[in-house]
Amino acid sequence: MAGRGGDRDVTRRSMLGAFGAAGVAAVAGGALGLGGVRAAAAQTLGQNEPLDAALKRVFGGRPMKDGSGMVKLDVPLIAENGSVVPVSVEVSTPMTPQSYVKHIYIVADKNRIPIVTRVALTPDSGQAYMGANIRLGETTDVRAVVEQSDGTLLAVKREVKVTVGGCGG
Amino acid sequence: MSEIGKVRLRLPASIKPGDVVRVRCLVIHPMERIERDNQGKIIDKKYNYIDKVTVTYRGKTVATFDTTQSVSENPFFAFSVKATDPGKLTVTFHDTHGDTYEGSADIAFS
Repeated sequence: MAGRGGDRDVTRRSMLGAFGAAGVAAVAGGALGLGGVRAAAAQTLGQNEPLDAALKRVFGGRPMKDGSGMVKLDVPLIAENGSVVPVSVEVSTPMTPQSYVKHIYIVADKNRIPIVTRVALTPDSGQAYMGANIRLGETTDVRAVVEQSDGTLLAVKREVKVTVGGCGG
Repeated sequence: MSEIGKVRLRLPASIKPGDVVRVRCLVIHPMERIERDNQGKIIDKKYNYIDKVTVTYRGKTVATFDTTQSVSENPFFAFSVKATDPGKLTVTFHDTHGDTYEGSADIAFS
């Protein structure tokens, strides 16, 4: 009886030990994983790559419709200083929980980091609108790509003439 | 540089219930751009720039900006919020060095 109990104790302890080790490993793995994911997410969005690669990576070659009727992209015709270029995007479609604008991407074609920003919106926004100041390295097309909740992509683009580039590197 | 992380939020002067409010916000931040050495190779270091901005209104996330180094120094962002009830609007900026900066404003009806 005592021997069996002892045996059981040993197994239980070793089991606990094993579980404990596994748990620690899992936690460590999880933490590492999360850190990795966050770093990767930051990396994937702002990579040094040509435009085609960026578009392919972010949108996976999905077809883009012309959104000029619905998407209003407001950029200056000429930007004297490429390091501060105001951009704003407004989408006229209503924001309802069934159908809303999920993401607005700003893409600067000739920037070394073409994907400038991605805005995730919710129906609580009331209207799909965003504005930001961006950097432009040289005279380039600026695109706004709007992703709706059903996955449709709408794109518009306008050219901005840049007098002094603002991307330095 | 001591001002890094200073956040300014601007709302319209008068807000009525149900209005779609356009909010503008600004944060003082260097948004370091990629540096290159003489050979044109990118210097590999941890650049300090804001990579995430979250907007919450009454505790609910309204919009999230994922930003890259192509965004200007002292970045400015604008967005809209549907003002349903009086409450707090908070904008939080996260940079790649792990710092967060926060600014908030109260939405009140006049």
